[in-house]
Amino acid sequence: MSTLVSPSPRPLGAARFLGAARRAQPLLRAVASIVLALVITSMLILMAGKNPIEAYGHMVMGAFGSWDRIIVGLNKTTPYLLCAVGIALCFRGQVINIGAEGQLAIGGIGAAVVALTWGTLPAWALIPLCLAAGALGGAGWAGIAATIRISRGVHEVLVTLLMNFVALLIVAEVLHGEMGEVGAGFPQTPLFESAAWLPKLISGTDLHIGILLAVLAALAASFLLWRTTLGFRWRLVGASPSAARYAGVSAGRAVFGLMASAGALAGLAGAIECLGVHYRLIEGFSAGFGFNAVAIALMGALNPLYVLPAALFFGFLETGALAMQRQIGVPSSLVLVIQGLTMVFVLCAIGRSDAEKI
Amino acid sequence: MDALFMTDFLAASIRIATPLALAALGGILSERSGTFAVGLEGQMLTGAFFGVIGTFLLGHIGWGLVAAALGGMGLALLVATATVRFHTEHMVTGIASNILALGLTSFMLRALVGQGQAPVIRIPTLEAWSVPYLSDLPVVGPLLFTQPPLTYFTVLAIVPVSLFLFRTRAGLTLRAVGENPQAAFAAGARPDRVRMAAIVAGGAFAGLAGAVLSLQQVGTFTDGMTSGRGYLVLAAIIVGRWMPLGTLAACLVFGAAEALSLRVQAFSLPVSSYVIQMLPYLAALAVLAGLGRSARLPAAIGKPFRQG
Repeated sequence: MSTLVSPSPRPLGAARFLGAARRAQPLLRAVASIVLALVITSMLILMAGKNPIEAYGHMVMGAFGSWDRIIVGLNKTTPYLLCAVGIALCFRGQVINIGAEGQLAIGGIGAAVVALTWGTLPAWALIPLCLAAGALGGAGWAGIAATIRISRGVHEVLVTLLMNFVALLIVAEVLHGEMGEVGAGFPQTPLFESAAWLPKLISGTDLHIGILLAVLAALAASFLLWRTTLGFRWRLVGASPSAARYAGVSAGRAVFGLMASAGALAGLAGAIECLGVHYRLIEGFSAGFGFNAVAIALMGALNPLYVLPAALFFGFLETGALAMQRQIGVPSSLVLVIQGLTMVFVLCAIGRSDAEKI
Repeated sequence: MDALFMTDFLAASIRIATPLALAALGGILSERSGTFAVGLEGQMLTGAFFGVIGTFLLGHIGWGLVAAALGGMGLALLVATATVRFHTEHMVTGIASNILALGLTSFMLRALVGQGQAPVIRIPTLEAWSVPYLSDLPVVGPLLFTQPPLTYFTVLAIVPVSLFLFRTRAGLTLRAVGENPQAAFAAGARPDRVRMAAIVAGGAFAGLAGAVLSLQQVGTFTDGMTSGRGYLVLAAIIVGRWMPLGTLAACLVFGAAEALSLRVQAFSLPVSSYVIQMLPYLAALAVLAGLGRSARLPAAIGKPFRQG
């Protein structure tokens, strides 16, 4: 149809507006869901005998009140973004990967093993090695779930869920055994050599390069998904398994590729947490990432680029909530309420319609 | 020593399996009607919370049990509304409701009890109740007939649930909705209502299962005290092939794995306690992988029903 019209791919004004509006839709849906969640949550704050406006004020100040707060928020965003991008990829291919938490934990172990074994290497070699080990660990862990799904037909939700618990116990095991720091009051490895510490993005602050890596990963995932054959295959398997089969696309290979990619991203997140924030592997460092990342992926409409604002929201929500708890004593577990409600509302807003699109 | 160890081990298995089995009954209702019961974890947690709060505020453990069931049903109603009315993804909806339950219970505990770092409400636990005569039997007596009330309730509840599912018209309708909602609709059933009812009824069982943890076992509520049991239940349901008796057996196996993991630590084995704690999860994974495709799901599970 376009041969007669114009070789230019630029659509006309109205069409462009429509296209923009369609692209804005998931954002609107996400914002509406957040607002609804915040309104309901403010009733809870009222019931707890506090002023919601004051509480949210402290939350905002706690999240954005100073450069230090913003930097904490950005550092918190990093693992969320990485995990959520991987989960978004998986969901596009109808692979419901709930195992980011475990994959992140195993990634952290991988990075810690390398950092503690080859601590004498120079930073330019050590850091990439640690990150690679983390990604490999996460991919391997996710690969087990993918293998069980492909070879035995067991749904990956259950397998990845159960494997989360195993991964957390493995972290406890290595920290209480082989890798634990002797005499430390808390289960943790010794401090890594400073060569393994992630470089700072802004020197003199705590902001490490993780957020940069995470944004790059989101861009790469987006490119992969919409500009490569592999990405098309993955989307095809998710959108229409029968069409994919007809086109000769192997569903098993897609499942494995998706899970391994998501695992690698989560593992990378684990490595970044260890190298950038704690400078060691500590117990409980992965807690809560798995489920939150699912919420973030959904809020971002399973689009690696839209996932970025959703991850920022979650990152800053958490730093803000901690401040709120310190300032006026509203329990920070309210964050979970906001997250859970937002997730339910986003799900209701999406319905089934989006899942059927390529 | 050996016999004593075995009795103690089996008793612990039953104790650990009780909340799993009770929640599983609820999960079977939900999944047989076509909705994945991933929200069990949150419904159990809510039940555990309201069990303690209800007992504490209303002064009687009976009211606590009512509150536990209602709490589980409330959360299940949210899941039911989202999945049935809004056609949301079942697994993710369930997980969202679990996050919500974790946050709500933890928030409400602090809002109700005060701002202390670790708010605690202590409740006397439900006492074991000996069945007259039968409890005097050797081995079997202390094992099977000296148990707290909710354990008996769990075992007994399997009968009406099985009868309902497989011997009544309503049960047939429920299963038909899980297998082929279109056909059930054509036959005059209302698939959406059936699913809502099944999920909410399942929530009552899950809520009581949570009360087993808080009222019968621990006597208090702590944040996230279900710690993944709801997910083990999902595995048990698959292993039990959506049959109440088979699922009960699977729950006993998981209970035994955990009981073993608690006891093996007493022997000085060369494996650490963390490796042993993995046992229930590894057992669940191994059984799932072993069963593989032979575990046939209700055909319409996870699929929304659209009229016409």
